[in-house]
Amino acid sequence: MAEWTPDEVLDARGLSCPMPILKTKKIMKTLKSGQILEIQGTDPGTRNDLPAFTERSGDEFLGEEQGDGYISFFLKKA
Amino acid sequence: MGVLVGKFKEGYSVLFDRNWPLWVGGVLLALLGIICMAAGRPWGVAGGLRVWSDWLFYWVGLYKTAPTHAFFFSNASILTWGLLFGAFGAALLSRQFAWRNAPKLELVKGLIGGVFMGVGSVMAGGCNVGGFYTALAAGSVSGFAMMAGLLVGALIGLKYLMWEIEHVTSKPPKQKAAKQGGIDWSKVQPWLGAVFFLFLLGWAYCMSFRAYTQEAVLMITAVGIGIVIQRCRFCFVRSFRDPFMTGEAVATRAVALSVILSVFGFFAIKWFRADWQMIYIYHHWIGGLVGGVIFGIGMLLAGGCGSGSVWRAGEGQFKLILAVITFSMSNSLFKNYVWTSDVAKSWGKPIFLAAVTDYFWAIVITAVVMLVWWAVMAWNEETDSLTIV
Repeated sequence: MAEWTPDEVLDARGLSCPMPILKTKKIMKTLKSGQILEIQGTDPGTRNDLPAFTERSGDEFLGEEQGDGYISFFLKKA
Repeated sequence: MGVLVGKFKEGYSVLFDRNWPLWVGGVLLALLGIICMAAGRPWGVAGGLRVWSDWLFYWVGLYKTAPTHAFFFSNASILTWGLLFGAFGAALLSRQFAWRNAPKLELVKGLIGGVFMGVGSVMAGGCNVGGFYTALAAGSVSGFAMMAGLLVGALIGLKYLMWEIEHVTSKPPKQKAAKQGGIDWSKVQPWLGAVFFLFLLGWAYCMSFRAYTQEAVLMITAVGIGIVIQRCRFCFVRSFRDPFMTGEAVATRAVALSVILSVFGFFAIKWFRADWQMIYIYHHWIGGLVGGVIFGIGMLLAGGCGSGSVWRAGEGQFKLILAVITFSMSNSLFKNYVWTSDVAKSWGKPIFLAAVTDYFWAIVITAVVMLVWWAVMAWNEETDSLTIV
């Protein structure tokens, strides 16, 4: 069972750099403070890119979870 | 024994679980690039890709004469093979090799991006590596022109990506569900990677006995470049794109640092080998500038540059495999056309920076341009003034 309950889910499976980050940045702008975004990705670069992104944006990187053939990342809007 | 095994696992995890910092990649790439230069063939990617398609088109009968460079054991070709092998092996050791399909739209962008990069790299005399990175290290004035072009091209490409996100929706491809039972590939991968690297080492050693010493040295150096680049996820696209996209300048700093380090090594070698002075000097300025813009757009579409596409292809990313194929083919076809026409005459002349100034000022100028790039993007990192996303 998921540790975090997302308010929005971004399906970025199959997308490679930079599309997951670009789409994440766009969706994060529409979220309200405290809402959680789940990003499902398959690109190994995303694991570095998302924490780097939240470090700059001030949002919170909650963590990741292994999905079935993909990884889910969870971000919390600041 | 238990302690040793533990330490080994710890070391392995540092090397192959986590990514290496980008600046480490910058330093190591500079070193490996200088070794290539000392071996008589500076690092490039497009040249190798071209040789592959030159042979392909010769085999299918499109080209009448056989290419002068061998498909495998020629200095240009072996550098790109080495990069691919190194990235592939490093991905195995890191358990990151996987067949990665992408949505159709992404695949189309890979194909088109590859064509743009192929054409742009002919005009600029190389891809982001040969036309910009290595060119600057080697003192080619066209490197500055290509840098300007790449910045413009990256902006245009990023604008397109933003438009696409607003207006086009693409369906994710079907992902294969994790298989039940069978072999656990994540356990096998590191062993395969180790065997592969041992094989490459042994092979290079054997080649060196058969008068292929230069190629053997270049292959092992390029394998090293592939490992470094995959483990750092070293990405020249990011150095141009990210300041405009996320504001981040980590990659920019790493590339600028790497160029500054390389230029010392390259110039030292050129100083002692006057006959090598014109190695890697290309058309300035139209060739570099226009080629840079076209290449910049292509690398944004493909999501990888010359080196970036090859190492991601080595990781199993289908989109980048397609980009590498069209890059290679369009580069070969366009170069073939350029050779048989006068079009390249309008692209400018090759100029060696140190012949215009002298070695000292050439190094200073190159370093200052890199530091300015670094400084502007570091300023932007704080202010987001140039960020358009």
